[in-house]
Amino acid sequence: MIYAGKNTGILVQGATGSQGKFHINLMNAYAKQVGGTGVVAGMTPGKAGQDVFGVPVYNSVVDALDEYEIGASVIFVPASGCGDAIMEAADARIPTIVTITEHVPVHDIMRAVAYAGSRGSRVIGPNCPGMLVPDECKLGIIPANLCKKGDVGVISRSGTLTYQVISELTSAGFGQSGIIGIGGDAVIGQTFAEVVDEFHADGRTKTVVLIGEVGGSLEIEGARRALDLGMPIVSYIAGVSAPKEKRMGHAGAIVEGGEGDAGSKIERLRALDIPVATRPSEIPDLIRGL
Amino acid sequence: MKFREYEAKQIFRESGIPVPNSVLITSADEAKPALDKVSDKVVLKAQVDVGGRGKAGGILPATAENIADVARDLFAKTIKGLPVEKILVEEALEISHEYYLSITIDRAKKMPLILFSSEGGVEIETLAKERPEALRRVYVDPSFVTLPDFIVRNVIGTAPKEIGKIVRDLFAVFRSKDAVLAEINPLVMTPKGILAADGKIILDDNSLARQGISENRDLTPREAEAEKHGFSYVELDGNIGVIGNGAGLTMATLDIISHYHGKAANFLDVGGGAASDRVMYAVRLVASMPGVKVIVVNLLGGITRCDEVAKGIIEAGVSQPVIVRIAGTNEEEGRRLLQACGYVMSDTMDQAIRAAVEVIQ
Repeated sequence: MIYAGKNTGILVQGATGSQGKFHINLMNAYAKQVGGTGVVAGMTPGKAGQDVFGVPVYNSVVDALDEYEIGASVIFVPASGCGDAIMEAADARIPTIVTITEHVPVHDIMRAVAYAGSRGSRVIGPNCPGMLVPDECKLGIIPANLCKKGDVGVISRSGTLTYQVISELTSAGFGQSGIIGIGGDAVIGQTFAEVVDEFHADGRTKTVVLIGEVGGSLEIEGARRALDLGMPIVSYIAGVSAPKEKRMGHAGAIVEGGEGDAGSKIERLRALDIPVATRPSEIPDLIRGL
Repeated sequence: MKFREYEAKQIFRESGIPVPNSVLITSADEAKPALDKVSDKVVLKAQVDVGGRGKAGGILPATAENIADVARDLFAKTIKGLPVEKILVEEALEISHEYYLSITIDRAKKMPLILFSSEGGVEIETLAKERPEALRRVYVDPSFVTLPDFIVRNVIGTAPKEIGKIVRDLFAVFRSKDAVLAEINPLVMTPKGILAADGKIILDDNSLARQGISENRDLTPREAEAEKHGFSYVELDGNIGVIGNGAGLTMATLDIISHYHGKAANFLDVGGGAASDRVMYAVRLVASMPGVKVIVVNLLGGITRCDEVAKGIIEAGVSQPVIVRIAGTNEEEGRRLLQACGYVMSDTMDQAIRAAVEVIQ
């Protein structure tokens, strides 16, 4: 099981907002399709008693936990309240907290991720599409129609680039053991290395696809971990043509002080003998070539 | 968003961090009266957002005799392309030792990181590479509201005790201002005590609203306009307008344009969950840039719905050809809407980008 499975009961925080509603519906449509548990409860302060597509809404995380067994929360709360929402879920000891919200202040995330860690919870995101394990569960907004069950584990900093890569993989016949969007911010919960550990422990993943971009060096740390664990890995790094000192959409995607640019990241990966695609469409061929 | 030196020092002053006496001026006429308030020997420091101001001629010494001329010359200059509109008139310091102090965020450790060196006054990147042992690195638990004593001791080592208070106060600035960087370089020893001779504070752009800042002035006018609509927008120098959703996919689109020997004119990431009116603004904004001959829209619907995207593209009604690749949430409805209006549709990202590059050639 990668973070969550078929029988994981899911809570949605920010259930009554337009994104919350829309994606509760899609997550439960997927759960129904694969025979999983799906979203059992929603939560929005002050909105107890409402329901969203048949899912009951509670005022607090603990109220929802009184009624249901919950193994994961998906957060659609606006940025200003997002750090608080993560801490509320962690305080209730929900093991997996998937945070979709973007533009969350970085100090809030540092604090919330540290607090979650101290409570034994793991945060995926923020500013991420969440995760999907084909034929098991969907936590977040990854379009399920692109995915197929298989043995390729996908880890990515960018939501839409993840979808691009999944569709390339699926149409080339490579199914996925799990797809984890870790988020594009400068500080995120689960990193490449931690997700690699998760795939390794699960035992169903034969190849890891690591999708990175300019900024920081989490990709290198993740690649090293995969090599240490003996997991074959291919990668793609976006932003080779990104101008310096400009923030390319993601708060984390900025070239700082000449480090973390896509070109030098690609060089470092190749120095580790890791195949790096120049376009997402080359990824299936790189996997075949392993 | 970057604070300029005079703003950083104002924040330091309010937070108890000692700074040199200074007055900010906006014209040469104010220079002499400013000097009278500050000291008989001063330095004039151009307040422009670039590094290496000193080497570029942006920091000049002056006395009561020559300050009017020095100020006039400095206001007439451009420093690395930026006009000098504000000058900080600051007392000249008698410096006996320089230190380096900064607080930043370590992405990998997900924690604040304090850097301190008793060998300040040099490029910190150079020091970190050449003499890493001269740079003390101390991580701070993100839940700490104030710094515990042991952390302060670990930061300063054998340096003078009064620096400890400055470390504490700088951490308070870092936290309360939602900073991603708070730096004092150099922190100097003078006969008057230890002072922050220069300062730099960079705020987290996601925290500007709660810091009471309505506009990010680091952005160009078109970038600012884009931000009002919630887009990330970057101007480049080619002729293919690029709209994507998600930073990674949009960056990959630029990379593939280069791969096919095309040149992107700009980059617009509509962000998550874009409704039709926002997509309409996005298409119009990208099309409004002079020189844009064709627009590629490369969108993968997750939180964004393809039907909303389609409606936005159609409503925008721009004169340039718009080549569309959409997939994901509500894809069929989106494609149906666009096909009915005669838009060029591509099934893959590579195909769409190749089609756009062909329009240019």
